[in-house]
Amino acid sequence: MELASSMSRSNDETVGRHGLPVFWPALLMFVVAIVLPMVAAALWLKVMTSVVIYALTAASIALLYRKLGQVSLAQVAFMGCGGWVALRLAHGTTLPFELSILAGGVFAAVVGMIFAYPALRMRGLYLALVTLMAAGGFGILVNVTQFPNGGDGFMGFAVKSVSYMPRPLLAQSDAAYFRYCIAVVFLGFGLITLHERGKPGRAWSLIRKSEAAAMAVGINVTGYKIWGFALSGFLAGVAGGLLAGNLQLLDARSFPPAESVMIFALTIVGGAWHWYGAVIAALLYRFVPALLNDVGISGDAAYIIFGAALIHALMTAPRGIAGQLTDLVSRLASGRREGR
Amino acid sequence: MGVYGLFLVSGLAVGALYALGGVGLVLLNRATGVLNFAYGAIGALGAMSAWQVLQWGYPEPLAWVVCLAIGVALSTGYGVLIAPGLAHREPVVKAVATLGFGIAILGAMNLLWVVNPRKLTLALDSVSLNILGLRMTGTRLLALSAGIAITAGMGIFLARTRLGLMMRTLADDRQLAAVLGTPIRKVETIAWGFSGFLAAVTGMLFGDLVRLDPAVLTFIVIPIIATTVVGRLTSIKVTFLAGLVIGIIESFLTLYKPLAPFRVASPFIVAILVLMWLQRGRRLTFAGAD
Repeated sequence: MELASSMSRSNDETVGRHGLPVFWPALLMFVVAIVLPMVAAALWLKVMTSVVIYALTAASIALLYRKLGQVSLAQVAFMGCGGWVALRLAHGTTLPFELSILAGGVFAAVVGMIFAYPALRMRGLYLALVTLMAAGGFGILVNVTQFPNGGDGFMGFAVKSVSYMPRPLLAQSDAAYFRYCIAVVFLGFGLITLHERGKPGRAWSLIRKSEAAAMAVGINVTGYKIWGFALSGFLAGVAGGLLAGNLQLLDARSFPPAESVMIFALTIVGGAWHWYGAVIAALLYRFVPALLNDVGISGDAAYIIFGAALIHALMTAPRGIAGQLTDLVSRLASGRREGR
Repeated sequence: MGVYGLFLVSGLAVGALYALGGVGLVLLNRATGVLNFAYGAIGALGAMSAWQVLQWGYPEPLAWVVCLAIGVALSTGYGVLIAPGLAHREPVVKAVATLGFGIAILGAMNLLWVVNPRKLTLALDSVSLNILGLRMTGTRLLALSAGIAITAGMGIFLARTRLGLMMRTLADDRQLAAVLGTPIRKVETIAWGFSGFLAAVTGMLFGDLVRLDPAVLTFIVIPIIATTVVGRLTSIKVTFLAGLVIGIIESFLTLYKPLAPFRVASPFIVAILVLMWLQRGRRLTFAGAD
């Protein structure tokens, strides 16, 4: 019995290093999905829903950072792309919600593929700057065009119109929508895991090490790079669609480049090397400022902490809070084993 | 000249500010290899403090001194305390770390000054000159002349002085420069300080000419970075010209109605196009550094 448990533990550890363990996250998400709507007040449920959604965005940033070593500062702009298409379809057609957000995701994936083009020519700082410039351009574009809100014409925006995006049939209430988002985000995390454990994950790792080596063993470098960006864009686009469903409309002012920069910074703080790093990042991004406001401290105080935490993470803890937690847990576990 | 002249003047003023900011960024990047995302935040804190000093009723020269002192102190502080710990990392990590610094400064500013419309008015605003029938306020003239003077000055400084030579060796190869006996830390600290000085000047003038708001001034660094990208983060001359050109494009787009709402995007579009063109035909197969 003891042998079996220690074996499963060591097995978990090896899995944790190379990919993502599936059982525990699934259980945790399931428990949260059941319990949280029962205990949380209406306002907090909205906050937690956006935490769940931004966890998917953070995971899409972490995917590019961890696997391809690329810094994307445009992920909130991808969300905006996905959200725009999802809203447009929801107002213009009678497609089910799922298809709308899927279309949003696919559109963002195509935009992601366009981003992969500069990534074939440059990387590191220059690529980060290209994504930042694109995020800046998107912020201005969407401020002019606005998000569709049921108005006429292709852009679907009218100043006085306030029709809301319909939610999925399964999830009309806030509580049900929270659970719905958890399910979608879980599928998104699953998609990442599937890629990382399969051929694309191995290809990405080798490309990150050396493109020449990857090419030498017959990996289609261009194809896999484009695929990585497409996947990351897809996930962020789906997150954008979910965000549109949460508030049932989107505000153009919530997609400036500053937000992309912020969520990227927090993804590094949370830890890009663990699946729950993305969850920590989203909690920091949406939950902590709300919590501070609730107890009477300005949410801006959180910014000071975030900034310091980012520098700290880069200097001493490259795997972020999640990495430190994992080290702590494994140290405790090994201590207990030795104690026996 | 008429209406075009007016737009040319306002474009030149904004462009000169982009250029001035860009020159400070390029100088720092050349000497230390750090692209400073906190540049806007440093200038913003300087400008906000200057506004506060003026609100308390102190004279304007004191406000300038406070603004510049804060800029130099913040920038040097980061350069001395934090930057050396990251000196061996890749450029993108160094850049992201300054982002943390910028976010922290922004948080502090939002705590100190509740979001409110504010206006920074400098004495030079009321002075104006007529050049070729165009009216130019003193502040705009100051922005333009400071831009030109500093760009020319930096060029001569880097080319002719010993310190400039040291900065150039550092930019080429930090480790080789150390082997040759370049006092790395000293040179870098000077670069951080001077870049902070320029950040404060830029922040102050932006606060006066565009808008005084911590978040706006903090993220003004993004269009400024766009101008430096045109100069490949290394050429002070090209950065300065790019700043002016982008400012003028932005200003003249106001005249063309369909594109007018998008004019603020021009730095980004110019930067992306130039970057793609500069990197054309490049392959990463055997790429070592970025």
